[in-house]
Amino acid sequence: MGVAIVLALLAAVLLGPAGALLDRLQWIERVPKTGVLLWQALGLAGALSAIGAGLAVGVVRYHAGFFPGVSELAHDILRGRILTGLGVPEAVGLTLAVDAAIVLVSVMTVTTIRVVRTRARHRHLLDLVALDSRYGHGTVTLEDARATAYYIPGLRPRIVVSTGAVQILNDDEVAAVLAHERGHAQERHGLVLLPLSAAGEVLRWVPYMRRAPKAVASLLEFAADDYAARHASRRLLASALIRMATALAPPPCAFGVAPALVPRRVERLLHTVNRSRHLATLGCGLAGLLVALPIVIALAA
Amino acid sequence: MARLGELERKVMELLWSSPGEPLTVREVAVELPHHAYTTVLTVLDRLARKGMVERTKDGRAHRYSATAPRDVYTAELMREALRGAPDSHAVLVKFAETVTASEAEVLRSALGGLLEPPTEKKPGSPKTAG
Repeated sequence: MGVAIVLALLAAVLLGPAGALLDRLQWIERVPKTGVLLWQALGLAGALSAIGAGLAVGVVRYHAGFFPGVSELAHDILRGRILTGLGVPEAVGLTLAVDAAIVLVSVMTVTTIRVVRTRARHRHLLDLVALDSRYGHGTVTLEDARATAYYIPGLRPRIVVSTGAVQILNDDEVAAVLAHERGHAQERHGLVLLPLSAAGEVLRWVPYMRRAPKAVASLLEFAADDYAARHASRRLLASALIRMATALAPPPCAFGVAPALVPRRVERLLHTVNRSRHLATLGCGLAGLLVALPIVIALAA
Repeated sequence: MARLGELERKVMELLWSSPGEPLTVREVAVELPHHAYTTVLTVLDRLARKGMVERTKDGRAHRYSATAPRDVYTAELMREALRGAPDSHAVLVKFAETVTASEAEVLRSALGGLLEPPTEKKPGSPKTAG
């Protein structure tokens, strides 16, 4: 029972206050990809701890430690003997755990399908409507006076710029914008975002899920900026950002709107210190530790 | 699959370029000499099923026209790209969000400084003291 309590506490910390802590770490903005890895590690470690806590309750009756207990539980399930000798609390716990898992998996699946379908429909319409672009394969131009540029992730990703954007940017700035979008495509940022927003759909009440999608989205923008900075000029990307972010009428004022990401991105492009190998190593080490923590606790039981 | 998409696009372009004048399959096929009549028919039917194309009966032949002009679809895509739908973040990733009026003011003044030509850019130009 001890290990169940420890793992439950660990899950509560990892999926609760730990996210606020990670959100406050300034240095991960310098190594955004490592930052994304840290967020993923935090979520994975939290999930492992929560699942582990549930399993630990379920295997108490085997009196055999965590992993041997789990393997006996698996044997019992395979032999169809799961409910024999189950006390009321164990049965209730098990049912709740199974229900939660089913809800989580099905909502994530439904959300993923919806997102993939919306993307496919958008891409299909783009392929019919957009003008052939002189910017190369996978990049199309939409004829519209409003300035916008975006990236549609997926197996067949598309980069879109509106003619309005091309009008307010000079050629080098357009190249910088496209380099940024290619960064998203090259580093497969869509694959990182999709599960996070799908899980966020069901787990809104988990503090981690309220922070992670936004934090990770910001880090992915930084990562794409860094990619673009390697292929185009930082200054031009910064000026393109400013022109694009100020081209359209500002959104109606709303309370509680977080400060926009663009000023931070501009600041970062103009003044950032080079990415530090030490910070990246530190971040990866930290991510490894996070995931190892629940596993070690379960092993020690 | 990719070639079918390209053909759909060409067919739509033909229909868009003759507004108010629905075309028969043969009229469309004549403009696409590298594609068989039946292929063109298949593509038109596909587009009709997707709601992009309307089919009207004209004597013994069918005539096809675009359901809506091109800019209607462009506007729909732009709407999807610009609005902040709940899923929009996962569906597409925008280059830059529009900032608030006060943030825009700060950014615009920063842009002025940015546009000062950096000295290392043009080796031929006279260097300014700084």
